[in-house]
Amino acid sequence: MRARGLAKPPDAPLATIAKINGAQKLAALDARGWTLGLRPGMSQPDARAMHPALVCAEADPQAEAEALTHIADWCRRFTPLAALDAPDGIMLDVSGAAHLFGGEASLQADIEARLRAQGFFARTALASTPEAAFALARYGGERPDARILPAALDAAALARRLSDLPLAALRIDPATLKALAEAGLRRIGDILMRPRAPIAARCGAELYARLDGLLGRAKTPISPRFEAPAFMAERRFLDGLVRREDIEASILSLAQNLSRLLARHGEGARRLEVSLFRVDGAVMRFEVGSSRPLREPGVIARLFRERFEAASAANDGEAFDAGYGFDVIRLAALEVERRDEEEADCFDIGKCQGAGANLAAADLADLVDRLGARLGVRRVTRLAFHATHAPEFAVTAAPAAQCAGKDRHIHDINHIKQAALSTRSKAFSEEADFPGLPARPIRLLPRPEPIEAIAGVPDGPPLRFRWRRVLHEVAAFEGPERIAPEWWRRDERALTRDYFRAEDREGRRFWLFREGLFVSETARPRWFMHGLFA
Amino acid sequence: MSLEHFQAKPPLRVKKMRRDEEPEAFSGSTEPENASGGRSERLAFLRQKIACEEGISFARISIGGLGANCSFDRMLRGGLRGGALHEIAPGGAGDGAAACGFALALAVRLRAMAPGGRSAIIWIVEDFAAIEGGAPYGPGLALHGVDPAGLILVHTASAKDSLWAMEEALKCRSVAAVIGEIWSLEKIYDLTAARRLALAAQSGGASALMLAAGMAGGADRLASCAHTRFEVFAHGGVFARGSPKGSSKGSSSPDPPLPGLPLPGLPLPGLACWSVRIVKARGGAEGAVSIALLWDHEEGCFRDAFPLHLIADAGDRPGHSADARARPRQTA
Repeated sequence: MRARGLAKPPDAPLATIAKINGAQKLAALDARGWTLGLRPGMSQPDARAMHPALVCAEADPQAEAEALTHIADWCRRFTPLAALDAPDGIMLDVSGAAHLFGGEASLQADIEARLRAQGFFARTALASTPEAAFALARYGGERPDARILPAALDAAALARRLSDLPLAALRIDPATLKALAEAGLRRIGDILMRPRAPIAARCGAELYARLDGLLGRAKTPISPRFEAPAFMAERRFLDGLVRREDIEASILSLAQNLSRLLARHGEGARRLEVSLFRVDGAVMRFEVGSSRPLREPGVIARLFRERFEAASAANDGEAFDAGYGFDVIRLAALEVERRDEEEADCFDIGKCQGAGANLAAADLADLVDRLGARLGVRRVTRLAFHATHAPEFAVTAAPAAQCAGKDRHIHDINHIKQAALSTRSKAFSEEADFPGLPARPIRLLPRPEPIEAIAGVPDGPPLRFRWRRVLHEVAAFEGPERIAPEWWRRDERALTRDYFRAEDREGRRFWLFREGLFVSETARPRWFMHGLFA
Repeated sequence: MSLEHFQAKPPLRVKKMRRDEEPEAFSGSTEPENASGGRSERLAFLRQKIACEEGISFARISIGGLGANCSFDRMLRGGLRGGALHEIAPGGAGDGAAACGFALALAVRLRAMAPGGRSAIIWIVEDFAAIEGGAPYGPGLALHGVDPAGLILVHTASAKDSLWAMEEALKCRSVAAVIGEIWSLEKIYDLTAARRLALAAQSGGASALMLAAGMAGGADRLASCAHTRFEVFAHGGVFARGSPKGSSKGSSSPDPPLPGLPLPGLPLPGLACWSVRIVKARGGAEGAVSIALLWDHEEGCFRDAFPLHLIADAGDRPGHSADARARPRQTA
């Protein structure tokens, strides 16, 4: 618990208070408060009576939850699998990670010391199951080594070890706890030695489900905040890195490690993430995507350089707030894809058949990635056509990084050409396909803009119109091309549109439409400008 | 203008241009016997040598015709240069779409003449330009002659991002043309920016088309090292064949009566047509006169809107481009 902006004598206990059942009660305490015998749940006047020096602050659940999330993210420096255990715990899966920090005891000491340096009072416990770790962290006693449960304990030893813990360590609801206390059952051992069925019948199955979890008879998973990456490489520094050049250089060398790892497994990365762990606990993450399975360290480093560049442009020239420096840098491949070795040879040597085309395609993919890393993946797009007559939905912009390499479904646009041949043009032209204006404009306004148009008759073509305060006289036109709203969408407000391609006296070509059929749909059709032709 | 001269025509560049005209001139150059001779000789030798070395990259640069027997090619001395910077500005406030269509048409031509691996067209649109002038519309682009499979659209938040993205794209080996559309170009586009783009285009081999979408009538105000600069106006009065009146063929088919459809007797709009003024063309004719050009989106080539069937003087007549020789076309 950390209190900011609170004047406090050095050895005074600190507590947060919250209103529970209409009374001000202690919600959380610092280490000093615990040693003085204060406990959460006491009323504030009682606590004050015991220790007049007690400093109280209003509890802020939202800020506490945020702080907990930050700590959970910071804990990913120890293992990628970190889960929130609200409201006050964090669960780490350190299977196979403890030896990297010199064993379980030193890992525990490391975590506690680092959190204390950040101003948090934390108690850690290590056990084979999440329930046991929960119980030991809260009720396991003051000595750190008492809160480590060796993995090699057999069932009887485990039961002996845990039987002294209070029933509250099972995290069961307070009503059950109270009922059990009234029956004289206070410790886990009290329940363990009694037959299962009668207690289960009174207190429900949850109590035993928790108990089975605690004793390792049932496995319960934790739900980590982020999935463990498929491959990762990281480096720890004694002194924090501050300069961006240093960080980029270490990303390059991490990329070399990662590249070897990926090559050994025959994979390439499609999504990469760099996590920067700052000395004071802040964690920054940067993610880039690639449109082909990527393994080249130089290209990976380049993508992150562009990403930093974009971040610094958005952030007043500072890609990240380095503060006192970053002491752990991790490069992780979040998504990987099979990459064939033959293909890799082509990239490297360029001697096999079709290497030139491959090289060019890879070059374009890299360009798409660089642009995407700097400008945002959604800003680099390819066209994806859809079979609909509604002009706004006939095409969408799909991120180029995602549709590269896949067969994109590009529609034959001849159906638009055919549909756009109005009765008028068919009647006038001797041959069916005379060279005329294309059926669709090259630019479409973000939304149709209302115009004032004058037509000879209410359902006739426009003779002149005013768009953006300029009057245009129609010199040539083609239409109408009638596009009805799609009936299966059941949009009651949608009206039929009659599109016209019109050319004014200066030769500018417009795509405009009249909304609503005269008489049958509306008495006053409105005109809109929708697009511009070349 | 004088500044531009200094920037654009160092002595080295003059050499290069001569090389373009006489491909054999320096190809077999070796060190002259008296290389340690006079200062001017030494200088001339060095220039020659540099020109030769740069010639390796210059050999890739092609000049592409814009269309069969198009008078525009003659004014540009054979056509549009690949691997160079070209600028396009609209002539009037309403000509933005025309300028854009012209730039796209140039990109299609550049792509057609580029070597096999270069197939992509990158169009970089500033957000403001897309709001003001409309966003690129896929079906229309496909009908305009741009292959949608080879088009990558990039949206940028600022002109600065656009310039960066253009430079990156120009360095790519599989890009044929990069269109950069910047609304208020004057603020950011200085001699350095243009020079960077021109160098990137030259070394990368892709062509840069800078579209000054918001600079209506500002083509004369631009000062840069661009290879060519065009001012584009929409051109009216060219109607589709078969129109009731005003058609280029003078079709006299009577209006067939259609039940229920009132006919004001207006003609049908024809092919995209622009009148284009060459504001600047290095090694070509800079004209004060606009030329009317048609864009045949089905064939993917330019045509004279009003072809004059005159035979040019033998001295003014360049050889037909290889492209045109390969596919002799019947002009309309």
